[in-house]
Amino acid sequence: MSQNIKILPGATVCEDCTLEGDITIGGGTVIHPRVTIIADGGPIIIAEYCIIEEYSTIIHKKSDKQENPPKPLFIGAHNVFEVGCRLESSFGHIGESNVFECRSFVGVNVKIGSGCVIGAACNLTVTQTLADNTVIWGSEHHNREALEKQPSQLLQLDFLSKVMPNYHRLRKPNVHKRLPSRQSQEISK
Amino acid sequence: MAYLTQPDYIKYVCSCGQLKPITNLYFCRHCLKIRCGFCICHEVDSHYCANCLENMPSSEARLKKNRCSSCFDCPSCFHTLSTRATIAQPRQDPAAGDAKIENKQPKKMYYLSCFNCRWTSRDVGIPDQPVASGGWPERTNPFAARVNQLLDYYKAIAQQEKQEKLDRERKKFAIRGKYMNLTDKTGLTGAMARNIAGLASSESSSSAIANFVPSQASEEVEELPEDYHTQEVNLKQITSMRQRLRAAEWQPRSAARLQPAARALSVKRSQRCRACDHNLTKPEYNPGSVKFKIELLAYYHVPEVKIISYETVKPGETTALLLKLTNPTAHEMQVRLLQPQDVPEVEEREEPKSIEKSLEKSLNLEKDSSWSKVLQRRAALPTACAVRAPDAALTLAQRDDAAEYDDDPQHDTSDIIMWRKSNKLALRLQVATAAGAAPGGPARAALALQYSYRNTVPPAAAAPAPRDHTLYTTLVIHLGTVAE
Repeated sequence: MSQNIKILPGATVCEDCTLEGDITIGGGTVIHPRVTIIADGGPIIIAEYCIIEEYSTIIHKKSDKQENPPKPLFIGAHNVFEVGCRLESSFGHIGESNVFECRSFVGVNVKIGSGCVIGAACNLTVTQTLADNTVIWGSEHHNREALEKQPSQLLQLDFLSKVMPNYHRLRKPNVHKRLPSRQSQEISK
Repeated sequence: MAYLTQPDYIKYVCSCGQLKPITNLYFCRHCLKIRCGFCICHEVDSHYCANCLENMPSSEARLKKNRCSSCFDCPSCFHTLSTRATIAQPRQDPAAGDAKIENKQPKKMYYLSCFNCRWTSRDVGIPDQPVASGGWPERTNPFAARVNQLLDYYKAIAQQEKQEKLDRERKKFAIRGKYMNLTDKTGLTGAMARNIAGLASSESSSSAIANFVPSQASEEVEELPEDYHTQEVNLKQITSMRQRLRAAEWQPRSAARLQPAARALSVKRSQRCRACDHNLTKPEYNPGSVKFKIELLAYYHVPEVKIISYETVKPGETTALLLKLTNPTAHEMQVRLLQPQDVPEVEEREEPKSIEKSLEKSLNLEKDSSWSKVLQRRAALPTACAVRAPDAALTLAQRDDAAEYDDDPQHDTSDIIMWRKSNKLALRLQVATAAGAAPGGPARAALALQYSYRNTVPPAAAAPAPRDHTLYTTLVIHLGTVAE
């Protein structure tokens, strides 16, 4: 598999995590140790200010109807992936300000809007589209609609990006913003 | 832990006939009997809020409808709400100008939020509060006046009936006082005298009865809206049945009208033996404490039996069963295994009542004494499987917390004793199953224990009670299902 990992400046990516395939990590995003991100079916693009916590897994799965060139999985800004969650989306887009709580599971054919919360240990396996601001919780998967998006975790991000380098080896940013033309080429690839 | 996470493999027979695991049973040291939650008296000791651990006297709790004044439950998922703070910039007032510059300090505002379903008080438009606790707007029930009226009416009726009953009693035993009073002289009763004087009658309750208007059913019902059947239903905006019933006073139909509900209080209760009125459990008063002042649990007094392993039970065959016995008391225990039918009947002998007691009883004749009666029945014990019990007395050493640091276990093994370790004993037994046992059905065997028990209750000064007792308990062992 081609290893093509692009880390933008300002991102905090721990060394002790599995990154495979074509992955772009936006500035301000924090990736904790022991995270698995596998871009199997196409590139994964993670936007700015996401938190991806320990033992979470993001897989862009290979599907039967593989487009050529493969469609990227775009994960919007301000998403929080809590400990042990698993995302196996092959839909091209995940909105912003979503929260994937601990040990939640989002299957292949689930489309997620913005401001959604997938509660702890909730499994979404059936083909469905979550409208904006949907909150799913509990063992019976109750859902409701929140009035506004989940508050952003900027304070937590600030803290993590300060503390993380003290205790973990980090991957260095390898894309520099000074070359915007090259970067845009890579993303469009 | 096994008692919490696993099914109850061993059940003891309570003296009322219920089958319960040992962790759900109590042991009355005065009657020397096993009691369970069904055959004891539960009493409320104190009310407290389980969230903020605030104690509340019962009168205040009744006044506040058994709800905490500072804690709230989520109306959406019933989890406890937490207070969250945000920093709000006070709105710029164009008219104020520079004069109020000191007011532009960012202010902390608080709102309620649920960590489970992420419901917030902002979702339903409750304004943020400047103080962390309290001050939340209270909604009044639109029918509060009617409910209060009904309450007053029924209270008045109850009062009246009580008064009538009392009057009847008084007529029966009219006691003439030593001293003459006004009513005796004039032949007037108090009520009549008051009437003549033009004072309000002593029973203020009668006004509540007189002014009461019964509700009337009306013929006309509000029409349903035009689009009732055609409007598309959005389940996210409609409350569920549970959410509506949680807020019984308002029963909101739309999710936008949910209100934080004051948290219901919890109760500390003490439990009492119905036969001898002694306390079985009594919790500490402090709501934060989970300890007990009195804690007579069967787990601390009755020998505990656990299954180590067993062979699959087959009809008409004899299979092995390994049991572990534990002595939880601080005294040595003699245990003998019996067949349940060999347990001697305990005859209910009426205790010779002391004079004080019978006097008290005659005084309390009116008091309903049915609460103290316990419905007793015999437990239906399984008969298909029988544990072959060897006729030997087994000695169980007392519990010794330091014993686990001893190295060498005692090796006085015999044909039935597998091993022995401080206050524990492992037994190898045989289970004989009847040939007629239905395959696939549950395999259950009954076993009785005779054990010696030393009562540590200080005896009453008058009658030195015997300290050592021979007690019996019956238990049912679940051995999976009968094999084909």
